[in-house]
Amino acid sequence: MKRFISVVLLLTMVLSLFGCGGSFSPVNLQEPITIPEDGVIEEKLLRQLKDENAIGTFCGSTDDYQYEWTIFGSDITEPRDLNLSLNFLVTQNKGMVAFSFNEESDLGFPAVLSIRLNQKWDAPSATVYQQVGDQKTAVCSASVTGSKETILNFSVNQTGGDFLIVPDQQAPSESMQVQTEVTEPTATVQEGTAETTKTDEYLSAVEGGGNRVYSDGTGTGQDQYLTDPIPEGKPMPVESENQEIDSEQSYTCTFSIECSTILNNLSDLNSDKLEMVPSDGVILSTQTVTFYEGESVFDVLKRVCKDNGIHMESSWTPMYNSAYVEGIHNLYEFDCGNLSGWMYRVNGWYPNYGCSRYQLAQGDVVEWRYTCDLGKDVGCEWMG
Amino acid sequence: MRMDGIKKEKYDGFQQYHPLVNFLYFALVLGFSMVFNHPVAQIISCVCAIMYAVQIEGKKAVMFSLKFCLPMLLLTAFVNPAFNHAGVTILTYFPNGNPLTLESILYGLSAGCLLVTVLVWFISFNRVITSDKFIYLFGRIIPAMSLVLSMTLRFVPKFKYQMSVVVEAQRSIGRDISTGSIIKRIKTATLIMSIMITWALENAIETADSMKSRGYGLKGRSAFSIYHFDDRDRTAMAWIAFCGVYLICGYMVRGFAFRYFPGIRWAAINTMSVSFYFVYAGLCLTPVIMNASEERKWKALYSNM
Repeated sequence: MKRFISVVLLLTMVLSLFGCGGSFSPVNLQEPITIPEDGVIEEKLLRQLKDENAIGTFCGSTDDYQYEWTIFGSDITEPRDLNLSLNFLVTQNKGMVAFSFNEESDLGFPAVLSIRLNQKWDAPSATVYQQVGDQKTAVCSASVTGSKETILNFSVNQTGGDFLIVPDQQAPSESMQVQTEVTEPTATVQEGTAETTKTDEYLSAVEGGGNRVYSDGTGTGQDQYLTDPIPEGKPMPVESENQEIDSEQSYTCTFSIECSTILNNLSDLNSDKLEMVPSDGVILSTQTVTFYEGESVFDVLKRVCKDNGIHMESSWTPMYNSAYVEGIHNLYEFDCGNLSGWMYRVNGWYPNYGCSRYQLAQGDVVEWRYTCDLGKDVGCEWMG
Repeated sequence: MRMDGIKKEKYDGFQQYHPLVNFLYFALVLGFSMVFNHPVAQIISCVCAIMYAVQIEGKKAVMFSLKFCLPMLLLTAFVNPAFNHAGVTILTYFPNGNPLTLESILYGLSAGCLLVTVLVWFISFNRVITSDKFIYLFGRIIPAMSLVLSMTLRFVPKFKYQMSVVVEAQRSIGRDISTGSIIKRIKTATLIMSIMITWALENAIETADSMKSRGYGLKGRSAFSIYHFDDRDRTAMAWIAFCGVYLICGYMVRGFAFRYFPGIRWAAINTMSVSFYFVYAGLCLTPVIMNASEERKWKALYSNM
């Protein structure tokens, strides 16, 4: 009794004296650095980043755009003077961004460039094109984030020529071949087509992966697992306990895991987790994976993470009859602010039910994305 | 003096110091044990706690406590990875797909070690900070609280004693709890419990009334104490305070920093951090060294006679 009381008393006393202690940070994040008028970041600064293994953010802006470089000190191989300013070009089409780098030679290391637009793009992702002379090539894809204004994140390797970022009309999908209307992913795409094609396309998705039931949009009220009505044309949830996995029947889907929103919110990130953020924000680059009849998004996530040695923690939530993904790659919910966590998107739509209730079909495009703003920054409308 | 028989206690020189010195020592040592999660600091604290407890309570008593502590340490080490799956070193997977990580096992061990260390410190804490010292320290600042505390602390041995008295008295009139059918035994035990509860309530009211009638807690009322703060206490106090300030500074400059998640990282080991370890060991061992040197002095004097 006496021992117990003494323990409790001292514990409270000590805790109130010391608080809960600070966190251990091996790399220190510097304050954002504004890119000077001439755009040149000196070698000294980059060398410092490299030596301290720190992460530097360099901000610049023009009338219409704000941009930010995120450079990981560990990526820098040879520090030298770099001109990080961008030169935005005027385009006749407001729905895309054209710019060129003022730096003439390649950076020599990957760096993430985030461009904040003064408008909101209604597209799941975007593609970056490089134009040298008349030759136009797709370089990489950019992730579309941001809640009110779109932020485009992409990794920069080459700097020569003009660059063009064009919103994708839909998520790149293997089922494209069956679509009657394949939109041309070039700069000439007109505005406004995104919305019309987005919903129709998945209605005509390839059959396979079980007999998927689509919502007719007439449902009202929540189901027994508190799921709101499923929008029209979207697959209905299936209960994993009723699903039988048939490993004879295999299909493929596209899978990716990315957390580029963290790069735009590094100041909110738990400093211990800084080293877990990949410098381009991509944890698992888009790849085709095999799944079996009756498997859910969660089953595939589990297997993909295991196969690639990526850490993933989940817990079962009986109330929603689904698994909840707490953390991937040691990046957990709430690690980057109170509104952060993992969300999944299939064929451009964020399902409003858990990932173990979403049964996959042939050609589905599954993206796991980290949000720092309850889904608003990764293009999820129904949350919050 | 205890009512359940006088136990022959080992001599403890540190106990003879002023209560303030005793209390400051335990406050610092317990606080640091709970806050420093650096394995070196934890091992220092754990070893010193066991050394001191063995010195003043004897090997047997400490071994008895450790028998409870060791399973607890192992339990936390095994239970933590079952609920905590963070960490970069994946060893294997649980059936539900969550990873078992090296970091979570090590963190569990560290937490278990902390628990054991603090419990072992409390063995010596209970011996050194007696309830009269506690009342002396806190009677002025929080009179009502410390009276309640000391009554509560006093209650356990008193209850035990009264219980044995009541059990004996009941047995002499034929209500023996060790013989008879189960129902009869339960009946007798219930009766004894009811007697004990009545007694406890009455006793508490009596004590409170008695303390009130003596003017406890009134302004200007002094309490007898036998403690003097002399030069010896001053030296000890200065040493403990120095260690405390030095170690708090060490904590501030992250000399004891150690991180388990997501990957294990620790503060660089340099002369500075090694000095923190030495000062920490010095602080924890203060009473052990005091006792040892006193004993040597006593033996030297004894042999000179």
